[in-house]
Amino acid sequence: MAERAIPSKLPVVPKELERIPLVQNQRGFAWISDRIAGVAEGKTPLWWWMAFVPSLSFATLLLCMLAYQISTGVGVWGDMRPVMWGWDIINFVWWIGIGHAGTLISAILFLLRQRWRTGVNRAAEAMTIFAVMCAGIYPAMHVGRVWFDWWLFPIPNSNGPIWPQFRSPLMWDVFAVSTYFTVSLLFWYMGLIPDLAVMRDRAKTRPRQFLYGLFALGWTGSNRHWSNYEKAYLLLAGLSTPLVLSVHSIVSLDFAVSQLPGWHTTIFPPYFVAGAIYSGFGMVLTLLVPLRKICKLEEVITLRHIDVMCKVTLATGSIVGYAYAMEYFIAWYSGNPYERWTFWHRIFGTYWYGGAAMLGFNALVPQLFWFKWFRQNLVAVFVISILINIGMWFERFVIIVGSLYQDFLPSSWGYFKPTWVDICTFLGTFGLFFTLFLLFLRFLPLIAISEVKGVTPQADPHHLLGGAKHEEPEPDDEVTL
Amino acid sequence: MTEAPEFRQWLEREFPRGASEWTDPVSRRHFVKIMSASFLLAGMGLAGSGCRRPVEHLEPFGKQPENYVYGTSQYYATAMATRGGAVPLLARSYEGRPVKLEGNALFPGGNGGTDRWAQAAILNLYDPDRARRFIRGGNNATPDAAFDRLRELSKRAEATGGEGLSFLLERNTSPSRMRMQKLIAGKFPKARWYVYEPVDLDVHRRAASTAFGASVKPIFKYDAAKVILSLDCDFIGSEEDAHDNIRRFTQGRRVEKPSDSLNRLYAVETLMSLTGMAADHRMRVAPSVIPRVALAFASEILKQAGLDAPEVPAGVNPKWISECAKDLLAHPGESLVVAGYRQPPAVHVLAQAMNAALGNIGKTVVFLDAAAIEGGISDLAKSLNAGEVETLVILGGNPVYNAPADLDWTRAQGRAKSVVRLGYYEDETFEAARRDADWHLPAAHFLESWGDALTSEGVLVPIQPLIAPLFGGLTEIEVLARIAGEDVVRPYEIVRQTFAGGEDAWRKFLYEGFAEGTAAKVVNVDVDPNAVKSAWSLLQSEQAAMASMSNNLEIVFHRDHAVDDGRYSNNGWLQEMADPITKLTWDNAVILSRKTARQLGLKNFDLVEIKLGDRTVSGPVWIQPGFADDSLGLALGYGREKSGRVGSGVGFNAYRLRTTVAENFAAGATLRRLDGTFELACIQNHWSMEGRPIIREANLDQFRQHPDFAHREKLEEPPVVTSMYPNPFDTAKEKGLHQWGMSVDLNTCIGCGTCVIACQSENNIPIVGKDQVRRGRAMQWMRVDRYYAGDPTQGRLPDVLKTDSDQQFEEWIDDPQSVVQPMFCQHCEAAPCENVCPVNATTHDNEGLNLMVYNRCVGTRYCSNNCPYKVRRFNFLDFNKRPLKDLKGPFYTTPLTHETDGEWDLLRWWKDPTEPTTGMRADDEWDLLKMSKNPDVSVRMRGVMEKCTLCLQRIEQAKIAQKVKAGPSGDVRLKESEGTVPKTACQQACPAGALVFGDISDPGSRVSKLKAQDRNYSVLDNLFTRPRTTYLARVRNPNPAMPDYHEVPLSLEEFEHKEGNPFEESGESPATAGKEHTHG
Repeated sequence: MAERAIPSKLPVVPKELERIPLVQNQRGFAWISDRIAGVAEGKTPLWWWMAFVPSLSFATLLLCMLAYQISTGVGVWGDMRPVMWGWDIINFVWWIGIGHAGTLISAILFLLRQRWRTGVNRAAEAMTIFAVMCAGIYPAMHVGRVWFDWWLFPIPNSNGPIWPQFRSPLMWDVFAVSTYFTVSLLFWYMGLIPDLAVMRDRAKTRPRQFLYGLFALGWTGSNRHWSNYEKAYLLLAGLSTPLVLSVHSIVSLDFAVSQLPGWHTTIFPPYFVAGAIYSGFGMVLTLLVPLRKICKLEEVITLRHIDVMCKVTLATGSIVGYAYAMEYFIAWYSGNPYERWTFWHRIFGTYWYGGAAMLGFNALVPQLFWFKWFRQNLVAVFVISILINIGMWFERFVIIVGSLYQDFLPSSWGYFKPTWVDICTFLGTFGLFFTLFLLFLRFLPLIAISEVKGVTPQADPHHLLGGAKHEEPEPDDEVTL
Repeated sequence: MTEAPEFRQWLEREFPRGASEWTDPVSRRHFVKIMSASFLLAGMGLAGSGCRRPVEHLEPFGKQPENYVYGTSQYYATAMATRGGAVPLLARSYEGRPVKLEGNALFPGGNGGTDRWAQAAILNLYDPDRARRFIRGGNNATPDAAFDRLRELSKRAEATGGEGLSFLLERNTSPSRMRMQKLIAGKFPKARWYVYEPVDLDVHRRAASTAFGASVKPIFKYDAAKVILSLDCDFIGSEEDAHDNIRRFTQGRRVEKPSDSLNRLYAVETLMSLTGMAADHRMRVAPSVIPRVALAFASEILKQAGLDAPEVPAGVNPKWISECAKDLLAHPGESLVVAGYRQPPAVHVLAQAMNAALGNIGKTVVFLDAAAIEGGISDLAKSLNAGEVETLVILGGNPVYNAPADLDWTRAQGRAKSVVRLGYYEDETFEAARRDADWHLPAAHFLESWGDALTSEGVLVPIQPLIAPLFGGLTEIEVLARIAGEDVVRPYEIVRQTFAGGEDAWRKFLYEGFAEGTAAKVVNVDVDPNAVKSAWSLLQSEQAAMASMSNNLEIVFHRDHAVDDGRYSNNGWLQEMADPITKLTWDNAVILSRKTARQLGLKNFDLVEIKLGDRTVSGPVWIQPGFADDSLGLALGYGREKSGRVGSGVGFNAYRLRTTVAENFAAGATLRRLDGTFELACIQNHWSMEGRPIIREANLDQFRQHPDFAHREKLEEPPVVTSMYPNPFDTAKEKGLHQWGMSVDLNTCIGCGTCVIACQSENNIPIVGKDQVRRGRAMQWMRVDRYYAGDPTQGRLPDVLKTDSDQQFEEWIDDPQSVVQPMFCQHCEAAPCENVCPVNATTHDNEGLNLMVYNRCVGTRYCSNNCPYKVRRFNFLDFNKRPLKDLKGPFYTTPLTHETDGEWDLLRWWKDPTEPTTGMRADDEWDLLKMSKNPDVSVRMRGVMEKCTLCLQRIEQAKIAQKVKAGPSGDVRLKESEGTVPKTACQQACPAGALVFGDISDPGSRVSKLKAQDRNYSVLDNLFTRPRTTYLARVRNPNPAMPDYHEVPLSLEEFEHKEGNPFEESGESPATAGKEHTHG
């Protein structure tokens, strides 16, 4: 670097074309390490306890509810005939949808060289893993005989042998979700290694040194480590990318493969993936908007990050809205009276409020993000992100309950009502989710320290002056050098 | 420590908990002894001749009896007595315990069909709440002490000639009982006899006796009638011998080809009844109007009798009456007018007079000799109040609960110095007789002791026991014999003596289950014109009085389809059976019409108080389509205060309003809305078929014009594309020896629900309780769907964006047409349930059965979601192991904290996890429950999906039997021509013969022939599930001259409204025409 002369004339970027840096205020590397690692160090702040105690209580509630349900029967839930899947599968799909943003951010955006991802990927990935854990509880526990869950795995056995039914989408679910969880976990852990080493190096007590050291796998930051790390990271990103698309596609096949009006739709795989990313980003926003404030990370998770994520939400929300429109169009165009009935009753039937929430919150509300004011207003973003989460929950409600409660034979129609156990179990999964997330905040760096450093302006090898307002010299400019 | 409850209990209890629960004299040890003894009885019965050796002294066998094959069932002919007849039965016994009742197909004229009560009766045998003890004044006594009491009674009666001795009986046809009664009457001439039935079906006999001036009872030959007019007569529902009437009536509804003829049924009624649902024309009128309609009919038909024509009541279309009468008159000798049991005798007299005028006597209605019946309960109450009764012997019945309210029966009964009662339950009447002088003896179930009965046609049938009395119960004849002071008191000997025939005849009698040539003689009768005239004038004057009372609600008290008059109140199968009309379970309701409800500002589930005179009763409202305006329907038999763990506190007690002067109808009721609501458990929430071609119907004309109408009334099918993944069953079925299939004739099914109970009994289906039914978790594998179709042009909005709770306010339900459809697993060849099960728990066998492997099921419930027919049932809460009280949500008892018989559930399980525990049921309940189960069908645990198997166990047994028979010949195929194809439980029980099961690969089988008919279609055929269960479309036979004639059935009109006219020859698929109407 030193050999190169400082250019006599720096190209001046017009004010309006200036890119906002990903770390503001020209913060140095040390500041970044201090600030991010600091969240997981020192005295446990009061707000953490205030959040953790209720979360843990709700997680305990989840345990109680599951024990109650397993010992007593699925009947403690509201599931009934014809709505044999109620909140169990709604919440499964909802949580698994939320679990989509993390891997999308870390894998697909990595491959697409979206550098802003570094500010949010760690927390989003953690969110993914915890959300998938919450999701996984439901299919595992909602069956009538939980102790035989292992029959869903192709484990050689002495009974026949009897294999799982490979034609069943539930079977595919088992593979899709478990693979996704495994790869996401590995990917997350991979990315954590350099930061764990940072934590190790900063640790002041023996147990911390030991534990961080253990999990840092002897990371020294050598070039060889970095080189292997980068390759592995790229590979895992490549591996995860199809998984992001496959998990929710497969989950959507639980519905699309059946022949229920409202379920039997070829549009489901892309529609579900878009919806999942949409809800995932909604949840990321819900978590990060307050978090960046509480942890004083506004300079790392900047308004630009929020802005970009709002745009992703807008795009995926619009895809979802388009999918809704297509569903209605096809229901009308097909002339199939069962389909028509189902779709009319989504808006005008008993559960009209579900249809209204779904259409309003998922198709209309994100349209506000066309306006910069909404993207920049944190209160608005937070409120909208909550609405997105609610809307996506109702989408699953409408699809599952709204299709099951009135199907082919009117004689079998019925009404689904959740029970207190359904509600408490759902609250319990929130407890579990936030318990894990708070533990994550407290013990692991919630932002990828090493990666963020890589996207600071001063990390750019071409950035010789330091503090220049653009991240990368434009190709045209280079010619002039 | 001495005050510790455990210690005190230890002091008091000699034996460990549970051991003394079965009170003396039947200990559990004794019970087991009796059980094994019954094996002997069972084994002896299987003698090669098929005749049973009467065994009275039951001893455990130490040696295997000859011809006893362990594990196989024996069948015994027996019968269930009804009020005025008997249902001949074949009882299946497994290792000495009866497990299933079926109709006796050998019975002349019968088809093996029964009614739901006969199917459910077996559950009463194993009812843990039945009377198990001999009780004196509320305290346990020994049987010997009770017998001493009867002896003392006898001695005293001998001394006084029976002065002060009164008997209160239920109606019964037993010749042995009659003999005992005569014996007593001879010995104690001053003893008095009374008969009380809260639902009095004897009016037919009384009225016929009046009309013809001779003691006769009518037998209606519905099979011979071409045109039937029912005046409030639910002959296929709540009348006596309904199952036999169904058989006869549906013979006239059976069509094979377009040229076949159909009978025609006109119904005039207040309630919506099964008869009204089956009717081609139906008129709904308030109860007080029915006699006036009868008068109008009589004036049309009895013109030559010179009766002056009365005015046609307001609101009744005179054309309806005149055209219907024309139709009747056009079919002399093959028409029939029947009046229902609720109608006053005068209406019956008019009906018989019309039958006589139409030349029907001896053709569609015959008259049999019948004996008169003793005094009724009002006479007894009078005599009690006069202090004339010293000892009141109540045999059966429950008068404290169901006597007319104005008799103040409890007080009257208390006037007797001593009450001796033989009862099946320790019920309300037991509670009211707990003085020191009062005795309560446990009654035996009819499967526990000997008896005999006459069918309504007078054929003698035996009541053979299949098991020794579980709790030492007695029968009426035994009690009567003891009171008579007879030496012979054993029921067997009494019955044997009554039979009087030789040993061979006796054996044949028991073997066949009836005595040939004992039917009562048909007598020739002539109408007594004076009786008709007096009936005429009586009705006219009554009607004039009625007309002056206006603006009042009229009440109809009716026999309930499930609990009868309350006698089956503790029978869980019946309580949970959906009422064939309302589809309500576990409750009765205040039934009223939409219009009346609107006038009163009521909606479903509103609590109301009905006031009649100074008596009140309150219950929830249920708006019933097709119910007459300004009337209230109150089903009897509910509101039992002391019934058992099933029946206590279910519904409200309509007997409280019922008085001797208004037994069936009461005018002048007022209704007041109370605060709050009471939720009812209805199994079917939606009433309309919404124009979907689920049940396909046409009028006879359309059927003749378009025999393939069932195929025209279908939705457009998606184009057939070759599947990338061919259905594995298509190749597998080539290896199947048989191909099972089922055909359901919608023309003959009238929706009585017998099949539902038969299935429940055969397949060990648990009950789930009201709360679970409300949560949509009823377990019956079979259901009977009932839809109403309204005229789309009359108040029926084309838009259907209404919730189910709105349907009660819609005008189209005022005069709907009803259709019913038994629905159960359709055994689809391309079953949607199979490919979605992740563990292969539901698969196909190569004979076309959709199998459910309970052991493999983990309970994802995906199969149910993907089943378009929604016939799969999921065991949500261990329904077999939870007593009803633990099935009420939303806080269910959990085994984590529950104790059963004083021990923590988990500990019980931990001690012996391999032994199935009783769950949360008490031991005594569990022991009886276990006995009631069919050993050939597994009892499913919780978390497992279950559904109709087409009685796989019966198929497999038939196959095994055929394999044994075939031996080396290898001829293992079951053939219908050889009678080796089994019948499913529902098919066996169906009195209409509407369900036919068989081998569709055998072109000669009945099911193959039915499936070859033009009317054959499968439900939701556009889904290509290729069900093995198919339906024969329904054909109506309306009269074009009638004012309520519809050119096509209303359900078809609804279909046409949405999908276009299926009969238009437009070249294109009929379903694509007229699409612009479609809305949703």
